[in-house]
Amino acid sequence: MVKKVNLATKLVSWRMWIQSAFLIIWLDPLGLRMHGMCAPVFHCYACPLATFACPIGVMAQFSALHVFPFIAIGLLVAVGVLFGSLICGWVCPFGFLQDLVGKVPTPKFDLPKWTGHFRYVVLIGAVLAIPYFFGEGHPLFVCRICPAGALEAGVPSMTQQALAGESIVWPNALKLTILGLFLLAIFFVRRPWCRVLCPLGAIFSLFNRVSAFFLQVDKKKCADCKRCHKLCELGIEPEESPNSLSCIRCLECIKCGPGAIRLANVFRRPKEQAASAR
Amino acid sequence: MQSRRGRIAIFCVLGLLGLILLVYGLRFHTANISPKQGQDAAKFAKSEPNLIKEVSIGGVKRDNSGKIKQTYTEKEEAPKACPT
Repeated sequence: MVKKVNLATKLVSWRMWIQSAFLIIWLDPLGLRMHGMCAPVFHCYACPLATFACPIGVMAQFSALHVFPFIAIGLLVAVGVLFGSLICGWVCPFGFLQDLVGKVPTPKFDLPKWTGHFRYVVLIGAVLAIPYFFGEGHPLFVCRICPAGALEAGVPSMTQQALAGESIVWPNALKLTILGLFLLAIFFVRRPWCRVLCPLGAIFSLFNRVSAFFLQVDKKKCADCKRCHKLCELGIEPEESPNSLSCIRCLECIKCGPGAIRLANVFRRPKEQAASAR
Repeated sequence: MQSRRGRIAIFCVLGLLGLILLVYGLRFHTANISPKQGQDAAKFAKSEPNLIKEVSIGGVKRDNSGKIKQTYTEKEEAPKACPT
């Protein structure tokens, strides 16, 4: 008897290709520069190749102006309640970069789970509070320390200046230090930015328990083999907390042998979902 | 874990809230901007998409009095890149 594999399980092996396809969208191949609209991903709008504005940059800048960012918040709520952290695992270009470098065969270290709470500190501190009370000139304003900005905007800009023979305008020392640490960390830790510091991931993770697409564990099928623990690169125990705040929904865990974990959604009745998973 | 109905209700409420915020921001929300020079010069309204474009290049800043000011005049060229 041939075992029927559901769509989500099939798609997992295509994840890198799906991330690549989205990367093309974010890199503005048509030169549209639609910077009046945000994308739900972490991609700096100062990058010469950016189709949309970064929602985190917009939230921080608007906080500095004391203006409510309706577009950024509305987009993140609408996308978050639909997909949750699926965006991190499948769509975000900065996550994709870390996934690609993670393929380099270097020893990988795990991080204590509590480090994930720093994401909320960055969100509340560097994205909302510091810009609101001290303005965009503060050295801890999120864009001034963001490694995505340094890598996607600072480095191309410095290269352009060097090639044109102009004097190079260097980003501040803190930003360069964080970029250096980030570039080092991605070789030895899986998705260090997403796990420890990403404020956008912090927002999407809050939707994991209520989003339309979610991970579901069938306790009857679970053989307690712990294979899902080995499949999860972020050190989560998916069968115990399938919709953990730390999960980026790469969906690797749904490849577990007994098929106890699956991507479910609110649009289909439980019976239909169970049938399609068989 | 919530029931399916609970999940659907949360999805509908938050999804609708997100869409309302998004549409309001895209279509109706504006901010009053003061020109760079002249205290008495009339303020002008900028739509949120245009304000996003401006902040992405450092085109507006909040001054000490709480006014949002453009960082360049009509005669000057707009900044080309984000100042951060």
